[in-house]
Amino acid sequence: MPEHSTGSPRGRAIWSGTITFGLVSVPVDLFPAIRARQTSMKMVDPKGRPLGRRFYCPKEDKPLSPDDIVRGYEMEDGKMVVVTDEELASVAPEMSRDIDLRRFVPIEQIPPMYFQRPYLMLPSGKSTKAYHLLARTMQKTQRVGVGTFVMRGHEYLVAILSDGTLLRAETLRFPDELRSPADVDLPKPKKGSPKLVKALSAAMGKLKRDQLDVDELADRYAEELHRIAQAKEKKHQDVIHITSAAEDENAEEGAGADVVDLVKLLRQRLSSGATVQTADQTGTAHAHAGAKSTRKPPKRATPASSAAKAAGSDLSALSKEDLYERAQALEIPGRSKMDRDELIAAIKKAA
Amino acid sequence: MKRAIWKGTIKIAGEEIAVRMYSAVQDQKVHFRLLHAKDLEPVEQRIVRKSDGKEVPKDEQRKALPVEADTAVIVEPDELERTAPETSRDIDLCRFVPASALGDQWYDRPYYLGPDKDDQAYFSLVAALEHQKVIGIARWAMRKKRYVGALKAEGGYLMLITLRRADQVLSVSGIDIPAARQPDDKEVRLAEQLVMSISADFEPQSWVDEYRARVMKLIEAKARGVKIVLPKAKPKPAGGGLADMLQKSLAMAKEKKVA
Repeated sequence: MPEHSTGSPRGRAIWSGTITFGLVSVPVDLFPAIRARQTSMKMVDPKGRPLGRRFYCPKEDKPLSPDDIVRGYEMEDGKMVVVTDEELASVAPEMSRDIDLRRFVPIEQIPPMYFQRPYLMLPSGKSTKAYHLLARTMQKTQRVGVGTFVMRGHEYLVAILSDGTLLRAETLRFPDELRSPADVDLPKPKKGSPKLVKALSAAMGKLKRDQLDVDELADRYAEELHRIAQAKEKKHQDVIHITSAAEDENAEEGAGADVVDLVKLLRQRLSSGATVQTADQTGTAHAHAGAKSTRKPPKRATPASSAAKAAGSDLSALSKEDLYERAQALEIPGRSKMDRDELIAAIKKAA
Repeated sequence: MKRAIWKGTIKIAGEEIAVRMYSAVQDQKVHFRLLHAKDLEPVEQRIVRKSDGKEVPKDEQRKALPVEADTAVIVEPDELERTAPETSRDIDLCRFVPASALGDQWYDRPYYLGPDKDDQAYFSLVAALEHQKVIGIARWAMRKKRYVGALKAEGGYLMLITLRRADQVLSVSGIDIPAARQPDDKEVRLAEQLVMSISADFEPQSWVDEYRARVMKLIEAKARGVKIVLPKAKPKPAGGGLADMLQKSLAMAKEKKVA
């Protein structure tokens, strides 16, 4: 088989295992299908020298290496219980290895509030026959497979989707991770005013298109940011030299963020005829203000190469929104004025 | 009473509909902390200069935006401040599309919108979205950040789900995965039968995070000092021809249905 012939992108898969349906096993590698926003920046000092995050033991006031760090759970009495990666994996050995598709369902039955994060699934075994069979069958029957699996110490509910040749996975939220309208005390539904319903419906009809125009999902903050940066670059103001993205471990988003060029990866793994684009490059013509072609898409999730890395992503992998919500739950004062780093620090302190 | 995380006003067709926003997600994850192995002290993250490992105070930290493969431009704090959107409570609806126009990859984080003062206007909007079978593409700014989202009717209420940005979502097409051997007709037919025999409605309540409970049990046992014997993975059933495995699976699926 022609796989892995160039380089070893497989090492960058964030999960490797098998999809099983019935007794049939399909070995796959999982890759993130979402690129970081064009707004992720590098931390530097005023002279442009790169900064990074380092773990410290506050008691000894000294920097720690990943080997010095373990994952712990804080009991109610404050006692810390250390848990190893091996223990976390062996709590559910089959789940860490297999995605058992226990059900096939029509995709339109899954409410969008369940969708969490998309991944690409590429075949990893010697034979791709079973992979093809599953991809083809799911498309023909218009079903998606649903199952659960364990990745990086957490169980995920997941839907496996097919476009006929390629399998994708979309992690789903568990029902207990979603609130109901009653949970947030929404009032009992009432009847609307017929006159207003009619007026609103008419307005919707006027603004309706059958297709999504991805321009409407353009990243205006990124455009603004790149405008500022490009104007400064022209004036040779505050321009600094950086190491290439691939070597950099400290992109602002997520400490130790590995960087993988998905497009390159796919071209390596698959036949050369593949076209891979971001959504804004397909369909409607679209000129982007940013300098995206020169930027490699940083990837947030990293392979769990060490306990420290895996657990380190617990807070730093969260979006600022998530962090803010957690800060809100902990009633941290001044949270609305905090940036990401400050939120992380404050949550750690308060947790 | 859950506190709203934000209040806004949906603007459409000259109407202004005041809403309160609530997170639809509640965190259930088992949270671990990073500890120094030696003294089990929770670790701290500090920002250091890579070249000399010296700690760098907050007011000396800058952000640099990469513009080329090896070039970045420092964006000063006051310049960053200028990129902040104008303060506004408006949720602008500029476009409506059928729900099928948005694939799963776009959806990010769901929020409930509840009525603020005017219940009737709120439920009129729900009804209109239901009648038209559309979702609205919304833009708003919240806590100095711009958002795009999908406004939809869900179970008689409004839900606003934040969406990913255009250049985050990969669209992969025309991929041809090499295959030495394609499945034959018999295998395709059997696979279809198997998929249909385990097809059913999506019943969210039947999915429970079992792993979470097992991890908590492990932690509690360890806290009590109980030695744990960890289970080994069951060996995989022996392989066989694809058609053979499909046939056996199909027989098993049928048995389960009867039982």
